[in-house]
Amino acid sequence: MNKDAPALVVEDATAGIGPLTILDGVSLELGSREVVAVLGANGAGKTTLLRTIAGLLPPRRGSIRLFGEPIEGRPAHEITRAGIGHVPSGRELFPRLSVADHLELGGRLSSPARRVELRQRMLEMFPALGQRLGQRAGTLSGGEQQMLAIARALMTDPRVLLLDEPSTGLAPKIVLSVFQTFPLLRKQGVSILLAEQSLTLGLSAADRAYVMDQGRIVLSGNAAALAEDHRVVDTYLGR
Amino acid sequence: MRRRRARRAGTARREGASEVGTLALQLLVNGILLGGLYVLVAQSLNLIFGVMGVVNLAHGSIIALAGLFTYWFSMRTGLSPLLVLPLALAGGAAAGAAGQRLLIEPVMQAGAKAGLLSLIVTFGLSYVLIELALQVFGSDFVSVPYLQSSWKLGALAFGKALVVAGAFAAVMSALLYWWLNRTYSGKALLAASQSPTGALSCGIDVARVRLIAFGIGVGLAAAAGVLVIVIMPVAPQTASDLTLLAFVIIALGGLGDYLGVAAAALLLGIAQSVAGYYLGGNAEYVLPYVLLLVVMLAGPGRFRRLG
Repeated sequence: MNKDAPALVVEDATAGIGPLTILDGVSLELGSREVVAVLGANGAGKTTLLRTIAGLLPPRRGSIRLFGEPIEGRPAHEITRAGIGHVPSGRELFPRLSVADHLELGGRLSSPARRVELRQRMLEMFPALGQRLGQRAGTLSGGEQQMLAIARALMTDPRVLLLDEPSTGLAPKIVLSVFQTFPLLRKQGVSILLAEQSLTLGLSAADRAYVMDQGRIVLSGNAAALAEDHRVVDTYLGR
Repeated sequence: MRRRRARRAGTARREGASEVGTLALQLLVNGILLGGLYVLVAQSLNLIFGVMGVVNLAHGSIIALAGLFTYWFSMRTGLSPLLVLPLALAGGAAAGAAGQRLLIEPVMQAGAKAGLLSLIVTFGLSYVLIELALQVFGSDFVSVPYLQSSWKLGALAFGKALVVAGAFAAVMSALLYWWLNRTYSGKALLAASQSPTGALSCGIDVARVRLIAFGIGVGLAAAAGVLVIVIMPVAPQTASDLTLLAFVIIALGGLGDYLGVAAAALLLGIAQSVAGYYLGGNAEYVLPYVLLLVVMLAGPGRFRRLG
């Protein structure tokens, strides 16, 4: 691992399912302790990009490096172990397992001492989960489920966190409370790649952003600058 | 005179009631013991179905093959059939793991077609195992004559073989439940069955979990075969009945619901015990088929994968 290298570099990544190409030559960079948003309308390829980085979909072409170390083509569980935490679209919780089980399963990669520390940190970050430790994940509210999905990913002690549309189906107040954890995560050395359909939310939470359309990056830049750029809205509207 | 007759009638009624009570208790206990064995028969399939989404149609063949091997071993050596249990568990697990790696895992990579292809593979495997059993052991129904006397407790009599088989099966099922719910590796298996993507995001090697689940599932099925042949006759052609029995129990209890499946197995055991006594003949063997129809009509959704 090269500590001076960017947290994550994706170069010319192409991926798809069967004959369908969903991701077409995508390149992006995520700096250490940076929050970068990947924006785009539904079907732009955001989820496929995150799934490809997480190893759930092998890239057909291109490279992916985590702090300089190539990870493309490695199995998904090994990529998690290498330091990429993934909060998948739809959360992918274990509905019949308890909140405590989720934290235990996520924390298994760490030493027992580190696991205790991470668990404590999660319960401070998401106090609602502390009151529901014995409750089955399938019975939690949408907001609590999202918090649990993030906490489970953070229990793997990642250096890069991939967040796939965390705002989907959540009340604005809950979304805000999820995004409010970003400064704390940054302070803890976690870099965040956030896939988000909502322009306002994505740009308000990120330092920089990439805009995707039909599997390609069509715009990129500083979040504040992109917020003023009419081309972003044009891309969303297919103009 | 009238008082004496009334007293006699009262005594007869009490005795009659007591006999009915004893019979009910006897049928209940027999049913629970039989159900204990069914728990093991069903949980092994539940494990594979729940974790991998693979409908293992070779399940009954594995049980029958292990049972027939137990018969052969016991007749040849004169030793207790229970001595085959550890061998069946270990041998079944090893064969299951090898079969999973060679036959099932390649099929699991086929995406949307994986379910259908695994069905075809296990269907073919089922016939290979049945033919193997026919060639090696013949087509006769056989049962191991083991512990054929009964233990008496008041008016109740418990077939020793049924008690031993039911108890062993119940203990193994309880250990499986404990392992799944109390250990990290067991929880990892439950996690992989409820969300493979979620499990991968925890760093769980889902392919390895599938291998373990299939190995344990086949090992437990083989162990069930050892216990089944102690209490009922088995032939290679029994295989499909055993697969169906396990399916009915899973359908009743709920896929992936280990407590639900245990309760369903006990209920089926009791129902068969009662039906066998009151309706006689083949009623107890027809019961699972009738229940399957009822379940399919009432709620086929129970077959759907959880999570």
